[in-house]
Amino acid sequence: MRLPRIRSIVLRLTLAYALASSAVLTGMAIVISRSVEMHFAEEDSEMLEGKLELIRHTAAEVHDEAGFATFAKQLDDALVGHHELEVAVLRKTGQPLYITAGGVFPPRIASAGELPETGRVLSWGEGEHAFRGLAARVAPGSPDLAPLKVVVATGIAHHNHFMQSFRRSLWGFVILATGVSGLLGWFVARRGLLPVAALTEATRKVTARRLDNRLSTTELPSELRELAAEFNQMLERLEDAFRRLSDFSSDIAHELRTPISNLMTQTQVALSRSRTPEEYQEALLSNTEEFERLARMLNDMLFLAKADNGLVIPKLETIDLAREVSDVFAFYEALAESRGLRLHLQGTVPGVMGDRLMLRRALSNLVANAIRHAFTNSEISACLTSDEDSVSVSVENRGNTIPPEIIDRLFDRFFRADPARSQSSEGAGLGLAITRSIVLAHRGTLSASSRDERTVFEIRLPRTAEAAVS
Amino acid sequence: MKILIVEDEPKTGEYLQQGLSEAGFVTDLVRDGFDGLHQATTETYDLVILDVMLPGLDGWKVLEAIRRFGKEMPVLFLTARDQVEDRVRGLEIGADDYLIKPFAFSELLARVRTLLRRGKANDPQVLKVADLELDLLRRRVVRAGHRIDLTAKEFALLELLLRRQGEVLPRSLIASQVWDMNFDSDSNVIEVAMRRLRAKVDDDFELKLIRTVRGMGYVLEASD
Repeated sequence: MRLPRIRSIVLRLTLAYALASSAVLTGMAIVISRSVEMHFAEEDSEMLEGKLELIRHTAAEVHDEAGFATFAKQLDDALVGHHELEVAVLRKTGQPLYITAGGVFPPRIASAGELPETGRVLSWGEGEHAFRGLAARVAPGSPDLAPLKVVVATGIAHHNHFMQSFRRSLWGFVILATGVSGLLGWFVARRGLLPVAALTEATRKVTARRLDNRLSTTELPSELRELAAEFNQMLERLEDAFRRLSDFSSDIAHELRTPISNLMTQTQVALSRSRTPEEYQEALLSNTEEFERLARMLNDMLFLAKADNGLVIPKLETIDLAREVSDVFAFYEALAESRGLRLHLQGTVPGVMGDRLMLRRALSNLVANAIRHAFTNSEISACLTSDEDSVSVSVENRGNTIPPEIIDRLFDRFFRADPARSQSSEGAGLGLAITRSIVLAHRGTLSASSRDERTVFEIRLPRTAEAAVS
Repeated sequence: MKILIVEDEPKTGEYLQQGLSEAGFVTDLVRDGFDGLHQATTETYDLVILDVMLPGLDGWKVLEAIRRFGKEMPVLFLTARDQVEDRVRGLEIGADDYLIKPFAFSELLARVRTLLRRGKANDPQVLKVADLELDLLRRRVVRAGHRIDLTAKEFALLELLLRRQGEVLPRSLIASQVWDMNFDSDSNVIEVAMRRLRAKVDDDFELKLIRTVRGMGYVLEASD
């Protein structure tokens, strides 16, 4: 049968304290009462053996039958004042030779006679009397006389009495102490767990609106400090995610405002009076272009939202990056040539694990970006290198140097280095953000650097498949 | 060619019907899954356009029932949810293609035509329109007796236009078919490539074969 689990830490600790102290105290009580008892027994046997020795000496003085009368007298003198000491000396026939006066032996002498003559101390009870005693064979002074049986005993009722009350108070103490230590345990556990209650209280104050609340870790006991620190870190991540989400929502609203207001104005103006079919056609065509841009933006934003939620899981296959780059170059070749740009690819790398469509998209965005910002009649070069752990593709173009304060923001969604170009045909400023999401989904890194009119974007991907799997 | 449209959103349904009718198809429009299933199993259609989110019976169930009934016509799914599982599920239970809303009508038209053409053995070695000839085997293009030199990609582009002459091909379809770029690339790459192709194929001739349809894409036809 399983014991029901105790859910409360306080109760658990209290019980543990009580159990532990009761076990220790019980053990101690047993040891103490045993040793006290043994002490009494030792004292008694020492006394009894002393008396037996005395009787032995006295008996050695007896040389004839007449000597027994003096023997009894001598014993009476020797044993006087020994309260509760019982002595019986029996002849071999069982006939009593001497019995202590006033003792309790006489009526029970038969049983005294039955004691084995071992000389070892024994305890026995007779009615309400309890004895500790020994029996031995004692030889009188003359070999003509038959040996005597001597029984020396002492009443131990008062010992037993004492032991009983001693044990009673000992156990009473054990029970009381157990209760007290349980209570103490309860108190200590409650006190010890107070910081947890404080932590709970602090946690309760954290809401979506007040994610900036942090738990103070300095006043906490060291065991809880780590928990609070972890909790604070979780809050930080939550706050960051939350802020990005709300930024994203406001970005969307902002980005949609312009095209929608264009569409509305254009359509309403077109409808404001009768026009030729060509004019209507023109208005609709212009609308179509705007809608296409909107749809594209929506798709890109959905892709990013999915990437943020970790839903973009790459389908892994071995990718030859050189091939991907040259395919992407083939796509952009005509556009590049029309701007007098040369596309140049150098280096090869071992295959990496990745999703072909996604990596192609990431590369395509980088190349499109490079073409967009390259000086006319310059060269765009893609360079493939690898080391032990990773492979890297860098795309370099000649163009205006990007100021360092902007370079880190290039991968932010909707970021455009030149705000005036925001509504050109070049997209919503999501391309590099998408590239970064793709690279991150592949456990890689994307970096940018720009100096001396050279701008380089570098994708670095892990070489091992394990690192690429999410 | 008869097409069944199952779409509960009133505007979408109407525009689809109008657009497809004007493209020369006979169309029926129904508004929910039960009607859709009834129509699809009692009438004969060459293609079904099926919205996933439908009142009554959703698109998956309609499709399953249609296939159970033994109807083998191609089914094109329309979905507003771009989830990989959705696509996989759709293709598993027998959808032939899917489009994610919002989509360009020209894209839909191109997909519909592809699906309708599927399975018809029609693979000539030489593609022709007016005085333009494209020899697939010899990889040679001749117009009015003059040999035209094309790069590999230009050849592939012209082949696509010729194979689907008279159809307006959206940019995304061209990028996907010729360059294997299966995502929105917001550059005017296709425009430049098309301009270069036209410089070689059309510029020196009176009759222009390749036309830009603004807002839609490109079409190759021998119109006068």
